[in-house]
Amino acid sequence: MKTKQFHIIVGLCCILMGLGIIGRLSFAERTLPAWNPASILAGEEVDHSVGKCINIVDETGNMISQACRGVATGDEIINAEGKHYRVVKVDKDKAIVKSLGVDKRLLAWNEFYTDERLAMAAAAPKKGAVGVYHTHSAEAYVPTDGTESIPFKGGIYDVGQAFVERLKEKSGGEIIYDKTPHDPHDNAAYQRSRRTATKIMQQNPIAMIDVHRDGIPDPNYYSAKVADMDVSMLRLVVGRQNPHMQANLDFARRMMSYSNKVHPKIVKEIFMAKGNYNQDLMPTALLIEAGTHTNTKQQAENGVALFADAVPVVLGIEGGPATQAPGQGTGGGATGDGGSGGWKAVGWILGLTLLLGGGYILISTGSLKGLSDLGKEFTNYLGPLKKIGTKKSATKTKDQPEKTAGNADRAVIDQRDDVTED
Amino acid sequence: MTRFPLGLIVLIVVSLLIFFGMAQRALDRMRLTDKGALAVIVALIVGSFINIPIPGMRVPLEINVGGALIPVALAVYLLAKAGTGKEVTRALISAALTGVVIYFISTRMMSGLGEPSGGALGFIDPLYVFPIIAAVIAYVAGRSRRSAFIGATLGIILWDAANYFYMLQNNATNALKSIGGAGAFDVIVISGILAVLIADLIGETRERLQGGPSSEGKPDALLAGLRKPEFDKKDRKKSLADKERPDGLDQEEVDRLEN
Repeated sequence: MKTKQFHIIVGLCCILMGLGIIGRLSFAERTLPAWNPASILAGEEVDHSVGKCINIVDETGNMISQACRGVATGDEIINAEGKHYRVVKVDKDKAIVKSLGVDKRLLAWNEFYTDERLAMAAAAPKKGAVGVYHTHSAEAYVPTDGTESIPFKGGIYDVGQAFVERLKEKSGGEIIYDKTPHDPHDNAAYQRSRRTATKIMQQNPIAMIDVHRDGIPDPNYYSAKVADMDVSMLRLVVGRQNPHMQANLDFARRMMSYSNKVHPKIVKEIFMAKGNYNQDLMPTALLIEAGTHTNTKQQAENGVALFADAVPVVLGIEGGPATQAPGQGTGGGATGDGGSGGWKAVGWILGLTLLLGGGYILISTGSLKGLSDLGKEFTNYLGPLKKIGTKKSATKTKDQPEKTAGNADRAVIDQRDDVTED
Repeated sequence: MTRFPLGLIVLIVVSLLIFFGMAQRALDRMRLTDKGALAVIVALIVGSFINIPIPGMRVPLEINVGGALIPVALAVYLLAKAGTGKEVTRALISAALTGVVIYFISTRMMSGLGEPSGGALGFIDPLYVFPIIAAVIAYVAGRSRRSAFIGATLGIILWDAANYFYMLQNNATNALKSIGGAGAFDVIVISGILAVLIADLIGETRERLQGGPSSEGKPDALLAGLRKPEFDKKDRKKSLADKERPDGLDQEEVDRLEN
């Protein structure tokens, strides 16, 4: 019995370790908001959906970024210059980041997209669809729409339409635009939009983009003049509670790198936030924030249209009449290089599965024997092995009555173990 | 398949294998044989591609076979096969409670958020919050992983129903309410499976540390529920092979547990 308890404790330790690693990576040391049951009952939080802002600064107080509520320790930012930061502390309306230096992968992609020879060597354009949808379908732009939220038909649809039209023009391929609303505007909306995303996936797209707008109050944070147009810049969001995160992040890096090469500064930064955002469905899923609610809708439409110029090249599906310029071959989508984020994600998934799964099996079967039994369970599907196994156990039971009563007891205990395994 | 680099293909394959492996492990405990559990997984996958539109609704509504009908059918099967009426009541209560708590948390504590998400519980995605809630409620209410599955599945269907009423109330005729539309990857299926695994973990740890399930004074019907269908087969085989003890093990084992 003692060894059993030891096994269970080892199993628990494995699981705790796995959870610890996940926690450290995703939501460690978060400063939780003060618990206020009254505000939950009153539904007051809904009013705060926009306008409440957290300034993200470095140790010396320089502004790095802004975000509306929900910044957590461990969130990371890679800005357009490739500077990489991690949030180390969150106060009430201020988050402090520490610099992690320069993101080498982004610089590598910058290099890749600048090197015309590499771009030209890439394969011929391929066909492929891109899926576009809105999880928060109520999002609207105050200066144009008059309010920040219009249930079921927010201004975000116009921005999505502008994005889709430009994408169609540039890519020649099919764009799947699903306009299903997923109201109300809450975090569970992602569980509803998951159904839409899966429906898009059944049409076999090569990438999926969820178009949002941000909720920070300062319009100047996103406003810019790019390609002689008033635009709102974009922020790409990658969910950290997502087993495909490394692959999604690499996809976001490619997007930011190439978009900023075509239209400098159009993508402001990549923000790695807690959450999943249905990015576990596809390694090439992306969430974009087209400006914030205090920008005009026109700015946002201009911004996403410029971003759409870059998407087909990164995906290797360009082919529209407007993109015949020489030297702009297909991008990383066609090269093996793009898979490194994928391999990294595979490593993480396998490592964590071994740790969590091993701990789980230790607890659920109560012994190391359980691990080998599991193997047997799988081989049972293969047929002949099962017969050998049952023959063996049949002969065993035949022998048993001739042995001592102690052995019979042992058999009963074994049987009980079998039962508790269920 | 030159579209995706090899790394991404391996990533997709590995995550699918792990997901369905986990699902098989969880379904295995749902009064199904190993092969039955595999059959359910195949049905989940195939059913993912089938949506049944419900005609005559003001706000269009459709129900996915793999994402909603099969998990609900399995939950109903478990309810029908439950050992005692008490087990059924507890499972249903935990389902109703799960639905209410999930609704409360998702519309109150996780709503009105900044972008891309946040709120009081914003530090963890609802995809993982839902099954944790279902597992804990089901474990407290019924100490049962089957009830965890029933609670999670039916609870989330209730949450979906509440959302549909919200859409009806707001006359959202441009919407299309899909229940279980993400098929095998829907929050209904993922929650059901994760809830079983979490309840399993809580229960097994406690029982193992205590030295086995406590069965004193429990009805025989419930004790029989501790057994896998395959064990019955095994027993029959054993009793054939060992004529000196015809179906003796079952009774002996219960006696022993009661001691």
